[in-house]
Amino acid sequence: MKKKHGLKFLSLLVVLGMLLSACSNSTSGSGNTASKGNAEENIGKFPKSVKNNKTPIKDGTLHYALVSDTPFEGTLNYAFYEGQPDADVMQFFDIPLFSVNKNYEITNDGPATYKLSNDNKTITVTIKDNVNWSDGKPVTAQDYEYSFLVIGNKDYTGVRYGDELMQSIVGMKEYHEGKASNISGIKIINDKTLSITFTKANPSLLTGLWAYAMPKHYLGDVPIKDLAKSDKIHKAPIGFGPFKIKKIVPGESVEFERNDDFYAGKPKLKSIILKVVNPKVIVQALKKGEVDVAGEFPEDQYMAAKGSKNIQLIGQIDLAYNYIGFKLGHWDAKKSVNVMDNPKFQDKRLRQAMAYAIDTKTVGDKLYHGLRFPATSLIPPSFPDWYDKNANAIGYDPAKAKKLLDEAGYKDIDGDGFREDPNGKKFTINFLFMSGGDIAEPLAKFYIQCWKNVGLNVQLVDGRLAEFNSFYKMVQNDDPKVDIFAGAWGTGTDVDPYGLYGRDVSFNYSRFVSDKNDQLLADGHSEKAFDHAYRKKIYDEWQTYMNDEMPVIPTLFRSNITPVNNRVKGLNANYGTDVNAWANVTVTSATPDVE
Amino acid sequence: MLKFILRRIVFMIPQLLILSILIFALAKAMPGDALTGRLASNPKMDAHTLMELKHKLGMDDPLPIQYGRWIKGLFHGDLGMSIIHQIPVTQLIAGKLGNTILLGVAVLILSYLIAIPLGVISGRWTDTWADKLIVGYNYVTFATPLFIFALLVLFIFGFVLGWFPTSGSIDIQAQNGTFAYYMSKLNHLVLPAFSGAIVSTTVTIQFLRNEIIDTKLKDFVKTARAKGVSESKVYNHHIFRNSLLPIAAFLGYDIVYVIGGSVFLESIYGYPGIGQLFLTSIMQRDYSVVTALVMISGLATLVGTLLSDIILSAVDPRIRIE
Amino acid sequence: MKVEIINPKQQKQKKEKKHGVFSILWREIVKDKLALASLMLLGLILIIVYGTSLLLNQDKIVKVDLLSIYSPPSAEHWLGTDYGGRDILGQLIIGARNSFTIGLCITLLTGCIGLCVGLCAGYFGGKVDNTIMRVIDFFLILPMLMLIIVFVSILPKYNVFSFILIMSAFLWTGKARLIRSKTLAERELDYVSASKTLGTPDWKIIFREVLPNLSSIIIVNLTLNLAGNIGIESGLTYLGFGLPESTPSLGTLVSYATNPDILQNKWWVWLPASLLILVMMLCINYIGNAFKRAADARQRLG
Repeated sequence: MKKKHGLKFLSLLVVLGMLLSACSNSTSGSGNTASKGNAEENIGKFPKSVKNNKTPIKDGTLHYALVSDTPFEGTLNYAFYEGQPDADVMQFFDIPLFSVNKNYEITNDGPATYKLSNDNKTITVTIKDNVNWSDGKPVTAQDYEYSFLVIGNKDYTGVRYGDELMQSIVGMKEYHEGKASNISGIKIINDKTLSITFTKANPSLLTGLWAYAMPKHYLGDVPIKDLAKSDKIHKAPIGFGPFKIKKIVPGESVEFERNDDFYAGKPKLKSIILKVVNPKVIVQALKKGEVDVAGEFPEDQYMAAKGSKNIQLIGQIDLAYNYIGFKLGHWDAKKSVNVMDNPKFQDKRLRQAMAYAIDTKTVGDKLYHGLRFPATSLIPPSFPDWYDKNANAIGYDPAKAKKLLDEAGYKDIDGDGFREDPNGKKFTINFLFMSGGDIAEPLAKFYIQCWKNVGLNVQLVDGRLAEFNSFYKMVQNDDPKVDIFAGAWGTGTDVDPYGLYGRDVSFNYSRFVSDKNDQLLADGHSEKAFDHAYRKKIYDEWQTYMNDEMPVIPTLFRSNITPVNNRVKGLNANYGTDVNAWANVTVTSATPDVE
Repeated sequence: MLKFILRRIVFMIPQLLILSILIFALAKAMPGDALTGRLASNPKMDAHTLMELKHKLGMDDPLPIQYGRWIKGLFHGDLGMSIIHQIPVTQLIAGKLGNTILLGVAVLILSYLIAIPLGVISGRWTDTWADKLIVGYNYVTFATPLFIFALLVLFIFGFVLGWFPTSGSIDIQAQNGTFAYYMSKLNHLVLPAFSGAIVSTTVTIQFLRNEIIDTKLKDFVKTARAKGVSESKVYNHHIFRNSLLPIAAFLGYDIVYVIGGSVFLESIYGYPGIGQLFLTSIMQRDYSVVTALVMISGLATLVGTLLSDIILSAVDPRIRIE
Repeated sequence: MKVEIINPKQQKQKKEKKHGVFSILWREIVKDKLALASLMLLGLILIIVYGTSLLLNQDKIVKVDLLSIYSPPSAEHWLGTDYGGRDILGQLIIGARNSFTIGLCITLLTGCIGLCVGLCAGYFGGKVDNTIMRVIDFFLILPMLMLIIVFVSILPKYNVFSFILIMSAFLWTGKARLIRSKTLAERELDYVSASKTLGTPDWKIIFREVLPNLSSIIIVNLTLNLAGNIGIESGLTYLGFGLPESTPSLGTLVSYATNPDILQNKWWVWLPASLLILVMMLCINYIGNAFKRAADARQRLG
């Protein structure tokens, strides 16, 4: 009998033994970060580049981790790719024709230069002489034109054609409908130069121009409807980036070798090995030096990575923001226009009050450890020139929220702690929130509590979080169950908010329309807006206007951090948008630092 | 026997047909479609182009037509196009099936290699310290969910001890076809196969142990002993073979898991395979892949159960099929 | 020859060994000290869990408190807090209640259905067996994961009960197959033919003669299932399709351990739940062992 008791103990001991061995690896520093006084990281504190004063070794090899819990899809072409992991793979071997400045406007420092005509409707692009594909053939103007011909073609199976800029190329519509065999607005001047003419002058040309060439000599014999699945894109793609693909293990890893012929000079690293690493083990992989750089690093692992001695964290502000939107109407598909006809949130004092009620600073500090911080307008600070920090942002002020609600007539008549609407009827707000990750539920609950504190009764739609597809379906279809919804936007490199807030844009999920909004948005991408100062004035005014109307409450701005091993040198946080980034990276020792 | 097999195969057809209708209806019933996810990465698409794209992909045809198109394709071996991966489904699945089957077979072999001896020891020498140890180990592995176990194994053997690679199915720098290539493939297989095997030994050990304990008490064993048969022959020849029955019943079943893959193992070890493909395709509403995988796994299950029954009848004369 | 006159009174005083089912079970458990200890421990846990959960306010437990995220155990929160600042001890208790209810209901439901179906299929054989097996096969080829995802997305009210129903709808097939293969073997035995000759109705043969002979495998299977179903939603939670977030359960607490930060540094979130699962499983197993021995007279200790 005693032996049997021992067995129970033994099993427990085995379990404990396994656990202890796992626990013994905990880094001493991060042991007590849970205590009060959680140090807040301000994204400003993250260096934009790696500090490394040692001498680089020659011909080093770098290990890059693509943090993802699914394999990368492998559609390695800019016209056809969908998932972000594929873009991570492409950044090494396939680069755009233009480099960009800090506002993501194209410059002349990259593989091509450009000139704008006086009426700003025609851009002339000249590809530099020493830009060649990795198989040796030169990159020609015909290659650049070919890219447009693929996207505009009626057999094209990707999503790039939907872009307004793309469709406003002269002759594009006719080509797309099959009426013309070429795009009349694109003229080949010589093998290295072409010009593109647009139907109207739009400053977004400088941030949204399609900048990728496709190798016509290599892909030209594949029918366009079969291009997306071709082996020439999945198994053996070519580009003119600093590296070329040596070998692909589908979905798992890619080996890149140096492109000696790179236009900006021979890259310093000899090879780069990219492999997919599960987000649950990335911190371990970093600590053991198995990987040098972790791209797409998940925010929730930040605290685990923070204390490690062998890595540095570089970061920059993301081209995105989180928001809570009000459903103010519906999308009329027949007329292709937004109609603002929902009376529930017409009073802008109600919307402003709800914005005053939420404490986004606590969310950013406590839930995201400072990686996110309160958003103050609908243009994020990742656009340093356009972001207006004086846009009359609404901060956290529950007293003011209560005052506004009282003014608007929302008073608590029956004393149950919740306000009734100005007609005295019960007032419930239905909140749609997406599930995903550990943070989603506490965040939703926290917002609901913030509103409860000012007397507003907010409930989750169907009493729970919505899955990704259901969320978008309900928001896109203006499901009456949804009053407010919390989402996030990636703005992309083009600052123009028209695509998200315009009157005839289906992505304007809040369905907010107004004449002033129309005017400001139109002015913002009109020809006059080529003048930087004018455009800034318009966007400043727009940001202030939106902060007053509040159809959408901007909640948080986000940051991108990348952990990098100490032996890496020359890597900057903007490596995702700098075309020459990887050519300048080196390592200062043959083996990575281990913790 | 042949008639039996033929009759079973005939029955498979209506079953698969009903399955195909069900799965097709289900796929369309789920909120959202493959384009929902695409749009999230390119929000500047206008509604008109969206309609055009949907039309091109055949997504706005009436349902019966879409179904008919799909079934016709099935019979020609064309499983359609994966909207997310943009390559034919057949190519997509073929690429990942190899990996999955390799891992699945490894898990199967390992798990039986571990479970059968342990079960026999446990059953034969009941209540000794060996038995208690095995039973204890059984409980612990049973109580631990697979993904936790896989993570622990990965941490301890992959990161801390560094004995095995921590992700992927092959070292990219190994040359195809060389000895080093095969060794690398095996090397990458060890940790996931080991985690998967340990967790699946539980049921086998339990049943085997139970069967042996029951069989031990049966009369024919007493008779054998009375006749002077050696103890080891009693066990190895008489008891063991009788106790394998329930396990034989599960064998055909296991084939389904070999083909189906385990989404946990594949995700944690970065090992691209079918299990993960299935899950992400559901999440991303990539219908052609989902329906193709369901049909394949449905077929595999039916074949598996048929195999199971055949094996059972071969092993146990009492249930022999005439 | 001695003729002994047995005093009738003395006969009555002889202790009569009761042969009722429960008394057999009870005796078996009492004789096995480990099973007895397990029964008491499990009983204690269940009483605490079910009792306390009546007193605890579920809303208060799941209230989000961003200021005390991941606090280690302290006087205010005996087992610390999780990523939402919610008390772990409260979640543990309510979670144990939910998990055990789920485990019990699923086991009972699947057990009953699987048993009936398996017995019928195995006993009657022939066409009945064939038809039933084909139906089971159909259930087997249904994609369980996908159907669960669809139900979770579509069902407006998704709680513990819908979860139990969905899982039970899938899990009975394995048991049915098992019972059926054993029944197929049993019905060839002589006692069945004998009963048939005697004219005993089929249902009596099935339930009163064949069933008891299968009891050992049924019990092993049941205890394994009960122990296993307690943590069943942890895998689904890891994938994101478990119980809705505001319903605590042991499985969800354990699944937090997949985050390596929590696994190594914040043990109080997942370790108590894992230990509780382990302990409950062990108890159920030892009690199950006692039942098994009770069922087979040759193995009884008492």
